[in-house]
Amino acid sequence: MQFLNQVSQILGKKSFKKIYILIGLLILIPILKPGPRVGYGIAKNQNKRILRIGTSDRVRSANIFLDSYMSVFAQLSNPPLMKMTPDGRIVGQIAKDIHSSSDYMRWEFHIQGDLYWSDGGSVTAEDVKFTIEYIRDRSPVAGWMKDTIDTVSISDEKTVILQLKRPYTRLDVEMATHGLLPKHIWQSIDTPMQYINPGENVGCGPFFIQKIDLNRGVILFAQNPFWKGPNPKIDAIEVHIYQNIDVLSLALDKGEVDVFYNYASSYPYQNLKKIRANSRFDFIEKLSTGLIFLGLNLGKAPMSDLRFREALSFAINYREIIKLDSLGYGKIPNRGLLPPSIEHYKDTTPLEYNPEKAKQILDDSGYGDHNSDGIREAHDGKNLTLTLLVRPVHARLAELIQDYLRSVGIKTTTKSVDTSTWINLKDRYRYDLTIARTTPWGMIVHAGWATGYFDSRRTGEGVLHNIDDPKFFKLCDDLLSTRNKEKLRYSAFQVQDYYNSQLPAIPLYWNVFVTPFHTKFQGWLTNPLYGIFNIDNFLNIEPTPN
Amino acid sequence: MRKPALPRQNGSAQKKSLTSLLAVVLFLVFFILALCANIIAPHDPWERFDPYLPPSAEHWLGTNDLGHDILSELIYGSRVSLLVGLGAAVLATAIGLSVGLFSGYYKGVTDEILMGITDVFLMIPRIPLIILLAAFLKPSFWIIALVIGFLWWTSTARVVRSKSLQVSEMNFVLSSKCLGFSDMHIIFTDIFPNIIQIVIPKFMLTVAAAMITEASLSFLGLGDPSMKSWGMMINFAFTKGGLVNALWWWFIPPGLCITFFVYSVVLLGYSHEEKEQAALGIG
Amino acid sequence: MKKIARYLLALYIIISINFFIPRLMPGDPITNLMGEDYIASQDSIDALKAELGLDKPLLVQYVTYWGDVIRLDLGHSLHFHTEVLQIIASKLFWTTVLVGLSILFGTLFGAILGALSGWGKNDPKNKILTTFFLWIYCIPPFFLSLIVLYVFAFKIGIFPLRGFYETGTFTDIAKHFFLPVLVLSLSLASRNYMIMRGSVIQEKGKLYILYARAKGLLNRGILFRHVFKNASLPLITLVALDIGFIISGALFVEIVFSMNGMGTLIFDALLARDYPVLQGIFLIITIMVVLANFLADIVYGIIDPRVREQR
Repeated sequence: MQFLNQVSQILGKKSFKKIYILIGLLILIPILKPGPRVGYGIAKNQNKRILRIGTSDRVRSANIFLDSYMSVFAQLSNPPLMKMTPDGRIVGQIAKDIHSSSDYMRWEFHIQGDLYWSDGGSVTAEDVKFTIEYIRDRSPVAGWMKDTIDTVSISDEKTVILQLKRPYTRLDVEMATHGLLPKHIWQSIDTPMQYINPGENVGCGPFFIQKIDLNRGVILFAQNPFWKGPNPKIDAIEVHIYQNIDVLSLALDKGEVDVFYNYASSYPYQNLKKIRANSRFDFIEKLSTGLIFLGLNLGKAPMSDLRFREALSFAINYREIIKLDSLGYGKIPNRGLLPPSIEHYKDTTPLEYNPEKAKQILDDSGYGDHNSDGIREAHDGKNLTLTLLVRPVHARLAELIQDYLRSVGIKTTTKSVDTSTWINLKDRYRYDLTIARTTPWGMIVHAGWATGYFDSRRTGEGVLHNIDDPKFFKLCDDLLSTRNKEKLRYSAFQVQDYYNSQLPAIPLYWNVFVTPFHTKFQGWLTNPLYGIFNIDNFLNIEPTPN
Repeated sequence: MRKPALPRQNGSAQKKSLTSLLAVVLFLVFFILALCANIIAPHDPWERFDPYLPPSAEHWLGTNDLGHDILSELIYGSRVSLLVGLGAAVLATAIGLSVGLFSGYYKGVTDEILMGITDVFLMIPRIPLIILLAAFLKPSFWIIALVIGFLWWTSTARVVRSKSLQVSEMNFVLSSKCLGFSDMHIIFTDIFPNIIQIVIPKFMLTVAAAMITEASLSFLGLGDPSMKSWGMMINFAFTKGGLVNALWWWFIPPGLCITFFVYSVVLLGYSHEEKEQAALGIG
Repeated sequence: MKKIARYLLALYIIISINFFIPRLMPGDPITNLMGEDYIASQDSIDALKAELGLDKPLLVQYVTYWGDVIRLDLGHSLHFHTEVLQIIASKLFWTTVLVGLSILFGTLFGAILGALSGWGKNDPKNKILTTFFLWIYCIPPFFLSLIVLYVFAFKIGIFPLRGFYETGTFTDIAKHFFLPVLVLSLSLASRNYMIMRGSVIQEKGKLYILYARAKGLLNRGILFRHVFKNASLPLITLVALDIGFIISGALFVEIVFSMNGMGTLIFDALLARDYPVLQGIFLIITIMVVLANFLADIVYGIIDPRVREQR
């Protein structure tokens, strides 16, 4: 007690006020001392050429196998068997030669001879066999493998043979997004669902993952010391993860990161004006091969009713959506779903905003509002209240859709969940309506031309798998049964006609991807699948001289 | 009221009344905004114009990312703050009063049990619980007001209890008991009127706390999407380019509104308390 | 010892609430317990039900639940691919630094300034200080964070935009923590200021002050020797109770300043409907709050001999 008294007496003395001010200054001065304005990476390593990528794709866990976004970034360190070229063709990456039998039941992959893991071992067919089997058996997103792949065997050190259960013309295409896992590391990991590794992750790409520091929000890639391919002209790559896209935009503008990359997304349109004013940036603008669409739970009434879907398609104000959601960087889509940037595009009927027509169709199809409460009733007499499932990034678009539907007498409630939860709820059909963007990858999986999203025989992977129509199955099988260009063109047209007449999903807009990048690097190569995040790009770019 | 008369103090009563005047005026402004929003607001806050417009004659505070007129949103936002604030505070005070009254009057076992319950509620982490519930349930401002009301009654209960303990020892209550009045009658006719003075500032502070909580939840995106809320406005400004594009007219006005509204309520509470303290000869 | 019983009872009740919430909420109980990120085919759902004990009577489930709680087995997060306890523990450190520093500064400044203010006359200096803190009290913490972030990091640019650290040096960490700690401390200080001031004003009217003055003690001496001790009683309780407020305040501060700690974890778990993590966090926070209150109670007893006598 005495001590407390004396301390409090001393602390209260007036003369000590000066000391407090002094201490305050001593603390503040080192803090306020202006630090390096440009990112710390450059300041610390003046002689190192580091590419810093800014993203707002949140990596949740240091698991390159199962975390949705970590697996995207791991493409650099753990390249898949195949890759997409800048002009959209799928060619070999780890695999240098691919042969298939004429009935497409047997596939041979010959892998590159001079690939090495970052811990020294060479990449062999064992690793490929292991990876394919591991994914087939453990990954929740590769359901198709279980249905398709019968056995995986090795004929020599660099050759893997896949024997299939059914003919599959597009097996090589499917292999473009599954990263190669080192057998000697992953064979001992029994429960990948409970595995994280924030330190070095062994990889065989030109760069490997040195560290995944989620506290700091950075993934560090260092050069693979055993890489025998062409020498990259940069020394390291850092992926900086931002929680807020505005902060990311400012960081880009200030030079804390050099380029923006979000998987299958454009730079936020509302922040383009500011970055365009910054003379040190150039831009890549491309019409995406994917699109934003309204998905419907086709197994449930009233979404199963074609007339209902038709009515919905007239209720949506497409022009306004483009004005508000993409600030003009988009086009009103056609009922055929697929944008002109896709191979074998066919012009189908454009979508039209006509709310009166929507109401007419609803009235005529038995969705009247009999109790005049402003909400129409379904065929079972209950009020039409639909659940709209979205990810937070589509919150505002959801508001617009809600408003459009409300003005034609359909009530919707919105449920907003994060990406992986949305994937799972979609998989389990726990929604009436949902807003989805198709990724360029999603457009080419399965039979291609977005069939991967709808064919109900293909489950998992966050697709809708909601079309049960045998006619549609036949169309998919036709596409799957051939690699002949003419036949494919014919079938692709048929698929688009199907979308046109059946409207299994209502496209909302075709969007333009804009990617800003700093001119201090040159030689940028993008591909439709992964934008700037592809190995060809990282082997090609170099610091701009001067 | 059978409260014994106490001597009143003059003096700095004038200074205090100026602050209370300010508080009342400020509160009335927001109250009127909330009540007459549809008359005062220049546009329907849900009507969509061109997005991201800077302030102009047509839109004094510009438009947001969906083209809503920000000034109109601002005016309508007072409704949610007022409704949730008042609703939650009424519920919280009702619960707190009941608990405190019964606890202080009956004493003994009732007191122990009720105070035990109060302790439990005091220690429940409130915002995490609301977030946990929000994950399971759909957001609507009724639920928010209800949950806030159910969690914020504890400090009122404590204060009412101690005063109630005090008052129930007073002679006039004892004489009522002797005269044979029922307990409930005594509680509501004798004790309750003497508690009110204590409760009013607590009520105001609860309104303030509820308003801040609602705004904070809306900022996280847990608010009711069918109503315009100041917190939600700031949420969209934060996530849709408000900061990096320096659109200060979007996120600063709603924040200021929350602050001013809460300020007026808190001042009302404090000035009442100060009046009471002056009356009782303290301060 | 009645006190300990009280706290244990409170702890028991709140932890039980944690048990009932997922089981009472609408929706599929497996989802409510596992989170919406789990992927299970139809046949494994029965196996899962058995593993989670959902096919057993409620009482048995309740007992098992308590067994898990005691062993601090908070389950697995299918969303973060790790154990719930592990993910919480990994985020706890930095958040504790943030919260600890803020409590330190907020309590110190708020309490001392509040005491001085309540003791002194109603001069302009006092009025300005009180008005200042009153304003801070009325500003929602998330908004204050936003303004501070906007002005100092976006506009003026002398502070970093996000994160706990960049290079890991002391100056670097200090730079990253300065603004968040400033905001959280100010919010706390305003509350403590108000309480302390009110408390001291109340004490001023009490008789023992008169006695001390009669004894001949100078003003300052009275304040710190006697009044502070008595007036600080509600403050200690407030710090304990504030743990709840501080954690929520830290949540908003972390979100605005993009710090990947407990606050962001809560928010991520919410979006992912990762119920195991949400419940785990709720449990941990509850334990911390009850502990803090218990300690405050003990300290209270040490400082105020009257309370001690009551036992």
